[in-house]
Amino acid sequence: MRTGKLIRLARGNLARELGALAVSAGGVALGTGCLVFFLALGSGLQNVVNDVFPVSTREVEVVVPQLAIGNLLGEQKIDDAIVQKLRALRGVAAAYPKMQLRVPAVTRYNGMFFGREIRMGLEVVATGLMPELVGQDARMPFEDRGEGQPIPVVVNRRLLELYNKVFAPQRNLPQLSESMLVGFQIPLELGRSWVVSRSFPGSQETSMQVVGFSERATLAGVSMPLAAIRRINKQFGMDPDTYSSVLVRAQSADDVGDVAAGVKKLGLEIDDTERRNAVQIGSAVEIVTMALSLLAALITGLAAVNTMQAFYASVRERTREIGVLRAVGATRGDVAAVVLVEAAATGLAGGVLGVLLARLAGALLDRIARTGLPDFPFKPSTFFRFELTHVLLGVGVALLAALLGAFLPARAAARLEPAKALTES
Amino acid sequence: MSAIELRNVAKTYPPREPGLPPQDLLRGVDLEVRRGEFVVVEGQSGSGKSTLLHLLGGLDREFEGEARVLGCDLRAVSDAELAALRHTQIGFIFQSFNLLPALTALENVLLPDFFGDGVPDAERRAREALERVGLADKSGARPVALSGGERQRVAIARALVARPPLLLADEPTGNLDARTGEGVIDLFRQLHRDGMTLLIVTHEARVSHAATRVLVLRDGRLHADGAEARSMETE
Repeated sequence: MRTGKLIRLARGNLARELGALAVSAGGVALGTGCLVFFLALGSGLQNVVNDVFPVSTREVEVVVPQLAIGNLLGEQKIDDAIVQKLRALRGVAAAYPKMQLRVPAVTRYNGMFFGREIRMGLEVVATGLMPELVGQDARMPFEDRGEGQPIPVVVNRRLLELYNKVFAPQRNLPQLSESMLVGFQIPLELGRSWVVSRSFPGSQETSMQVVGFSERATLAGVSMPLAAIRRINKQFGMDPDTYSSVLVRAQSADDVGDVAAGVKKLGLEIDDTERRNAVQIGSAVEIVTMALSLLAALITGLAAVNTMQAFYASVRERTREIGVLRAVGATRGDVAAVVLVEAAATGLAGGVLGVLLARLAGALLDRIARTGLPDFPFKPSTFFRFELTHVLLGVGVALLAALLGAFLPARAAARLEPAKALTES
Repeated sequence: MSAIELRNVAKTYPPREPGLPPQDLLRGVDLEVRRGEFVVVEGQSGSGKSTLLHLLGGLDREFEGEARVLGCDLRAVSDAELAALRHTQIGFIFQSFNLLPALTALENVLLPDFFGDGVPDAERRAREALERVGLADKSGARPVALSGGERQRVAIARALVARPPLLLADEPTGNLDARTGEGVIDLFRQLHRDGMTLLIVTHEARVSHAATRVLVLRDGRLHADGAEARSMETE
């Protein structure tokens, strides 16, 4: 039996039993709608987690173990030799050393700050990064221009978000954007601390200039060119050769295991605090999504049972018609196929309706969140991410539920003896 | 050459209620119908006429004895082969028309085209069949909009669309008024002239008059044909 003819035959029955089948399709739509909604919500929340804790699957941060015996004796450190060994490890594509500014530094800003007069004094924490690591995130040169010149800095985007959403509103300061801040210069006093309230010998006044925003920049402070940090540390008699950590990039995500093993052999460890946070929150989101999806699956299962009842009733009502189909040459398979095509159409309609309902509910909740929830850091523009796979899964599950629901009625229809079916009143 | 051959065919239904004996509707029926014959089987209501027809059409395979239709052993073939036989070789007409209410008259006539390998040039044949039964102008009407006579003519057109060599009809004029019934009988005469084998079960004498042979089903057995049979019936 050809598909086109099958659909033509089923279409007439669908139109006739529209009421009962609409209820079935509605049940399927509710189940699949919930499924797509929860999956999109989980995916959207995962996006938020990734924004807050951006984690690369190929990169690890290598540090000196805090409890290493060598470290206690002052022997364990990361220097150029260790960085070279890290670069030579199997599976390593690149290694980027980082160095902390080991000299206290402060900034003092008295004057107009984007239209508002402020008086500000902050302790500055800085980390040195290789310019290659910052790459295109720096919109101006990210290189040490030597003593007396402004030190280029890159700032973590999340820091800007925290400023805009928490710091600025509390202090009635202007909202800032990346483009507003690039090129902005802030005074910097090296060798001075507000905390210990003293100056180091040879303290020096200079400035730092924002050259870009990057996820590579430290979240606690600003990031400067590694060469600048090395120069300042040396200038103030601090260790200019020991790195605080190394960002190691593996050739692929699959190589990370080998890289981690190599790192351990060198007596170092991987600082995966941020990754752990991301993984833990991501896992929590996944578990909740899974639980809600199971609930949606349960609803879809009930919809399948409802579909089964509807099709049993339909087959009972059409017993004589089934007898006629058999009399004009339909096989048992043909009869089952007619019922299953009707079920497929019901499921498809339910699936499409479910996806539309999920989109609608998502848009509605986003609107409520936009207007009803206060602005907070990393507040997303949408809490949902509707992916093609969600849509396909939703429609597929709807189709499957309807087909499973109609399977037994279709089998019962196929098993009807034609002579008995024709004599049914 | 035989179109239908029955040898000692018996059909028993289980008892209607516990304690009652089984119902022997057919008891050792023997029948031979040659190709091109127009045979009428008469019998009272409940005599087993419809059962015999269903059995001949391969709609009921639970019987004893031997049955061959157009050379096909009905008990030996598979379900799919039986479906193919019904599809291409046998046309059915039922007393209650049995049209599908969701389909138009034309679609009802085209119903055999939905199954198997379809019907060659189906739409043209369906329109011709509707024209032959005088319903060319009703092709788009649904059964609910047709009179009883028109519905039966649509059912006849459906039985003819695949141009089967054998037509089985169960009380085809039972629900029709006298004039419409005559029209249907005339159509059967035409089909017989065209070489089709017809086996019609009925209790209406006007149908029997058109047949070349009349059999009577009584007490589960087929009795002799023609006037002899009718005289037995009137005894």
